This record gives sequence, C-alpha cells and structure tokens, in this order.
Amino acid sequence: MFKPLTLEIALTVGMFGIFLLDLFLDRHKKRVLGIFTLLLLIVILGISISKSVYGTAFSGTFVSDSFAVTLKQLFLIATGLAVLGSISHTEKLLIGREGEYYLLLLFSLLGMMITVSARELLLLFVGFELMSIPLYVLSGFDKGNPRSVEGALKIFLFGTVSSALLLLGIGIFFAATGTTAWHTTRALDELNDPLGTLALIILLAGFGFKIAAFPFQFWVPDTYEGAPTPFVAFLSVAPKVAGFGILFRFFFEALEPLASTWTLYAIWLAALTMIVGNLLALPQRNIKRLLAYSGIAHIGYMLLGLASGSKFGLEMSVFYFVAYLFSNMGAFLVAEAVHRATGSDDLDSYTRLYRRAPFLSLAMLVFLLSLGGIPFVIGFWAKLYIFLAAAEAGYIFIVLLGALLTVVALFYYLNVARKMYIDEGSGENSFISLPFDLSISIGICTLAVVLLGLYPKGIVWIAIKAISAFGQSNPIIH
Amino acid sequence: MVSYINLLLFFCIVLLFAVGTLILAKLIRYQDPNFDPIKIQPYECGEDPVGDAWIRFSISFYLIALIFVLFDVEVAFLFPWILSLSKLGLLAFIEMLIFLSILFLGWLYAFKKGDLRWERQ
Repeated sequence: MFKPLTLEIALTVGMFGIFLLDLFLDRHKKRVLGIFTLLLLIVILGISISKSVYGTAFSGTFVSDSFAVTLKQLFLIATGLAVLGSISHTEKLLIGREGEYYLLLLFSLLGMMITVSARELLLLFVGFELMSIPLYVLSGFDKGNPRSVEGALKIFLFGTVSSALLLLGIGIFFAATGTTAWHTTRALDELNDPLGTLALIILLAGFGFKIAAFPFQFWVPDTYEGAPTPFVAFLSVAPKVAGFGILFRFFFEALEPLASTWTLYAIWLAALTMIVGNLLALPQRNIKRLLAYSGIAHIGYMLLGLASGSKFGLEMSVFYFVAYLFSNMGAFLVAEAVHRATGSDDLDSYTRLYRRAPFLSLAMLVFLLSLGGIPFVIGFWAKLYIFLAAAEAGYIFIVLLGALLTVVALFYYLNVARKMYIDEGSGENSFISLPFDLSISIGICTLAVVLLGLYPKGIVWIAIKAISAFGQSNPIIH
Repeated sequence: MVSYINLLLFFCIVLLFAVGTLILAKLIRYQDPNFDPIKIQPYECGEDPVGDAWIRFSISFYLIALIFVLFDVEVAFLFPWILSLSKLGLLAFIEMLIFLSILFLGWLYAFKKGDLRWERQ
C-alpha cells in the first residue's frame, strides 16, 4: 500500500534525522549538515530508479507514474545542485542557521514531490503549500539585507493571493463536478458549462502566479535580487518545474473536456510571457535581474508545450525542463561565484572575467549560449523541439514570434559574454579562486549542458518514457 | 446557463438583506440626545488612553502562541482517536505515534533553541 510513497517516506525519515542532528550538533560542526543532506538526496535518487516505486495509493488519489517519478528525479537533481552550491555560502554567511536552510529546502522538495503525484485537488493544494511556504522563508533568509526582506514580502503576498485563488478555483471545480478527485476512467463532462470554464480560468491564474507567467511575474526580479543566490538557483528552477507538472497533470487529465478552451488561453499566456520576459530583460544592469527576466521568457517557451495540447508537446516540455534546469542553475551559481569574489551582482563586475577566472567565464559562456539557444548545447535542442511541437499543433505564427524573440534574447545574453571576453575594463586583474563546492556544482552543470547537447537522444528517450504512461488511471509497471 | 439564474437571484437577496438591514437600523435606531464623544472613547481600566494600541509586542508572545497551537492541534486529534481506537486497531495506534513524535520534535526544537525561556535577550 505504501510502496508508491517510498520516495516521500524516505525523504521524511532522512529529514528528521538531519533535524535531530542539527539540534544536537555543536555550532561549529554544522557544515557536515550540507554533506548529509546531499548524501540523503543521492540515496533517494538511487531509490527512484527502482521499478517498485510505481503505482497508486489512497484509492487512486496519489499516483506515482513515470511522469511523476521523472519530475521527482529532476527536483532531486535541482535540490542536490542547490545544496552543493550552498555549502560554502551557508558556512560563511549563515553561521548557526545551516540546519534551517537545508531543512527548508528539503521541506519544499517534499511538497513538490507530493504535489506532482496528486490526482486530487486538496492533496495537490497541501503539497503546493508545503512547497511554497519554505520558499517564502528562504527568500528572506538574508535578514540583514533590506532587499531580501522586500523580496520575501513580495513573494509572500503574491504566493498567498495565488493560494487563495487556487482554493476558490477548487471550490468552483467542486461545485461544477461534485468531486475534487479525478481519474481518467471517467471524463468530467460536467465541466462543459460556464462554471467549469470559470474554475479553469481561476485555477490557471493560481498556477500562473507560481510559474510566474506574464500578468503574475512582478515578484520575480525583486525576489531573485534579494534572496541568497544558491537558493535563487533552486527557486528559479524546481518550483517552476513543479508548477508545470501540476498544470500538465491537471489540465491533461482532469480538464480534458475543456482542451479547446485552455489551449487558447495557454497560447496567449505563452506569447505574452515570451514578449514581456525578453523585452524587459534588455535594459537590465544586474545579472540576477537579467536572469530573472530571461527565466520569465523561458516560462513562456515552456507554456508552448502546454498550448500544443498533445503528448508530443508534453515530451518536448520535459526535455525543456532538463535543459532549463542545468543552464539556469549553472548561470545563477556562476553569479554566486562572481558575487563572492567581487561583492557585486552588477554586470560591470563581469568585465574581463576571462583573465581573472578562465574556467568560470567559459562555464558562463556555455550557460548563456544554452539559454540563448545556440546550436550544439542543450538549450538549442530544447527550443527546437518545443517549436516543433507548437508548429505541429498549428501555431506557426507563435513559432515565428518565438524565433524572433530568441534573436532579441541573444542580444542580452551575448552582452554579458561581450563584457567577459571583449570589453577593456579597468584595473582589477587578480585571479579569482573558486570554493570547492561551487566549482563542483558549476562543473556538473557545464558538463551536463555540453554533453547532453552533443547527445540529446538520451534525454528525448527519457522524456518519451516519462510521458508514455501519462493519463492512464493505473500506471503500468515496466 | 439557466440554472445560474437562481444563483444570481440568491446573490441579489443576500446583498439586499445585508445592505437593507444596515439602512433599516440607521433609520429606526434610538438617537441619544445627550451624545458626547468622550463617552464613547475607548479606555484602559478607567484611565485615559495613553498612546496607540499599535505597539510592538515582544516576539516571545508569538512563539508561545505558536507552541500553544502545536499542542492544541495535537489534543484536537487525540480525542477522536482515543474514542475510536478499539475499532481502528494497531495501524491507527502506530500512525498516532508517528504524529506525536513529529509534534514532539517541534517542541524539542523550540526547547533546544531556547524559545521557552522567558527572560532572554
């Protein structure tokens, strides 16, 4: 009965182990907590490869199919990279609070793992809140910095409003259908009426806040600017992927009867998000704000997968998640490394970076090329595939718009590269030495971006496998 | 679509009732001829009010309130559990043990961090 919950139970047990360790550990020995957290994540990632975690629990409301398990693996990798990138950060700046930092990351991870497995709106909501609340706390973790507190307040207010919207949407969904659970054995035909459409719109708005789609993106740059950078690397990837996971499951499984309506909304959201994200990124002078707006633009591209409304679109979105995960986390970790060395997030501190840190600037170049979609790194394939899916669904115009905006995006991505390699800067030529943990995590991201770019077939295969059993009421154990 | 006419009608009645009661009360209530603003002033134990009610409270009050909620929720779940334990069997017993140990960890956290000590900086 509890087999599909293995990953969640293992994570919870491990979390309480780390919790107790944090309580009884001496103040100066807390650096081991990061290493224990990392080991825990690796162990759970190992468990997730096993075939015995598939199945359903709680009379079908909790499902562990290949889609959920693949997304959980992505969350585990993202959290692992964030933890690895945080070790020296917490050691320096969050002395005595390391335990809380890692535990909040793990609580958020647990929420994501529950929420992508939910086939019942209230369970989904509980997981959603468990994911969100630690994020509010972590955004304000740099207590002495007023910008951090400001960003935390913004994400908190936006987040609570989105939760209220979600609850309202769940209520209306219940009023329309008489159930909060959905199983693919029975299509919810009652949704074909105005009340169902209202529920759809309100729920889309609620999820839109979390994934930061266009009209709901205002909290993103301020929160990213203030929060601790290794955490921002996590915040910019994992909760977004979780939000998309819920959207996909809920829209494709429960709201199937309304597919013609929500593909229309999704295509508009995607187009507007792409335009706003890319254009607002152009004037940014702060690397974290620039990456925040570029992240919004990428949300727009990922929404194309939802808008295409087909299994092909879903597969290509899963591919995009992988590409976005490694490129974006890598870019934020480089921002952390540069901030550590120069004390500033300003784009001017990247001037002549290749003299001061050749490895770091090469890694940043790779991430920027991947985010911009230049051939033969993974980001190129991601964009190509997602455009292919949208074109197959008949949205030629949107594909052209997306391609055009990719060119716009190249301007601000390559502007950073120009600063790093070409611009003649003033004085500072001292060599930047990287902390060990950061160099490993950046190295992993770089390798992933380059190798997966040369061999995208493996990820395509994983994505196809993830979607293969999607939407079936009882996942096949293969 | 027709079925929502009822909902609209209901909404109108609710609105009418809420606003109508207020207006009606305004119209027919007793007007005090000796109205004096000092009489309706808030007071602190008979004294003149000093300062604003919006002052800073010690953070300890919030912590104590949070820890109270921890045990309050625990008790709220314990009563129905104990009444039906004989029917639910061993699984319910183990589940409640897990629940209690998680709550105990919350208390242990507050204790170890010194949040239960009242006199502290």
